[in-house]
Amino acid sequence: MPHQTISNSGQPAAIVVENVVKRYGAFAALNDINLEVGKGEKIVLCGPSGSGKSTLIRCINHIERHDGGRIVVDGVELTGRIADINSVRCEVGMVFQSFNLFPHLTVAENCMLAPMKVRGISRSEARDRALSLLRKVRIQDQADKYPAQLSGGQQQRVAIARALCMQPKIMLFDEPTSALDPEMVKEVLETMVGLARDGMTMVCVTHEMGFAREVADRVVFMDRGSIVEEAAPETFFQAPRTERARSFLNQIIH
Amino acid sequence: MNSLDFSIVAQAWPYLWSGLLFSLSLTAAAFAIGMVLGTCLALVQHFEIRGLAQIVRGYVALIRSIPLILVLFWFFFLVPIVLGHLSGSGRPVPIGATATAFITFELFEAAYYSEIIRVGLRAVNKGQFEASQALALSTYDTYRHIVLPQVFRVASPIILSQTIILFQDTSLVYVLSLTDLLGAASKLAQLNGRLVEMYLFVAVVYLALSSAASQCVAILRKRYAVAAAHR
Repeated sequence: MPHQTISNSGQPAAIVVENVVKRYGAFAALNDINLEVGKGEKIVLCGPSGSGKSTLIRCINHIERHDGGRIVVDGVELTGRIADINSVRCEVGMVFQSFNLFPHLTVAENCMLAPMKVRGISRSEARDRALSLLRKVRIQDQADKYPAQLSGGQQQRVAIARALCMQPKIMLFDEPTSALDPEMVKEVLETMVGLARDGMTMVCVTHEMGFAREVADRVVFMDRGSIVEEAAPETFFQAPRTERARSFLNQIIH
Repeated sequence: MNSLDFSIVAQAWPYLWSGLLFSLSLTAAAFAIGMVLGTCLALVQHFEIRGLAQIVRGYVALIRSIPLILVLFWFFFLVPIVLGHLSGSGRPVPIGATATAFITFELFEAAYYSEIIRVGLRAVNKGQFEASQALALSTYDTYRHIVLPQVFRVASPIILSQTIILFQDTSLVYVLSLTDLLGAASKLAQLNGRLVEMYLFVAVVYLALSSAASQCVAILRKRYAVAAAHR
């Protein structure tokens, strides 16, 4: 039976990552990672490319399989059992850098498919839910268009609505604004800020420092497969403790 | 030589029509069954199903390396003997020319379609699988609703091209003494001596049907190119 893991703050943890290791051959993508995310907490993961931040969030919903350590999501440990993996994936929504919308389905159908097939709700209920979440991301008038007819920013907001249609408890964002033209970054970030205000538990891989300052409870800095520094956003951006974090921040500020 | 007299075609039309219907129904059956079977063959290879994948690869390689006309012969002459041995009587079990034609075309086309679909499966973006996983969709739902519809869409011009070739290949059933469009024209031409008119007319029918289908291919190709450019 799912056991509750209590975080340091006394709150039951949404995500517990313990001594997690992930290897690609001889290369250690994740090297003994420990991280706890409390319910309702917002984490921003940052670090240079190849530091393992994307690999880490992809392990949380088992798109990548970890080679060692434990990952417990909402009380369910990811052991490789299909039933556990699916119950975790039902509670964890994910937004990708490259949107990954289904090009042959309309915006509404993109949002309706998984709730109907996985949650087993009716078509009309799925459509109502899709439309109300599309309204929330302010894109309801595009419901019957195909993804290719939308701008990048609109597509990414559809991807967010699609994930929310499963009514997840946790949302993972993997560089959601990196593939966007600069003028579209804002609309996606605003949507994410709105989600944060609603109390969603969020883990975001992003280099958007304005977003991190506004919503993050903690910034987690990774380098070469390890967590190097964890701090509140103001502390992290103004007074990073480690040399690696300092040089990384210098690079992204220019 | 006499001048051309196409009134002969009008008289011959009912017989030609029945030949054309045979060609079209053979094409339709080979397309429908071939696609279903071809998709299964492609999926067996795609999922690397132990044991089966090797057999399927061998089957596809074999079928693709021999002419259709030879497969028709084999099927017509060898399968009844094999069936005879299997049934224990030792006497050949005839399966008839029409059944031979349908079964052979379906099995033959399945191999070609499976190659098209196999390549299409590899072309589907990795992100589509990841998004499906993240949404907790089962493997079945992922392939049924996400992957295969995209494969059919991307591959539809090539599938249609293959089907045009299939339609023209149905004329090979003459080796089984079956009467398709070309066979009907050929028989009538021998009877009435109007070879030029008959063969010209048949050519026009093949041309019209095949180029209409080619137009469809062009439209599909264009539509897909537009959709891809917007992505």
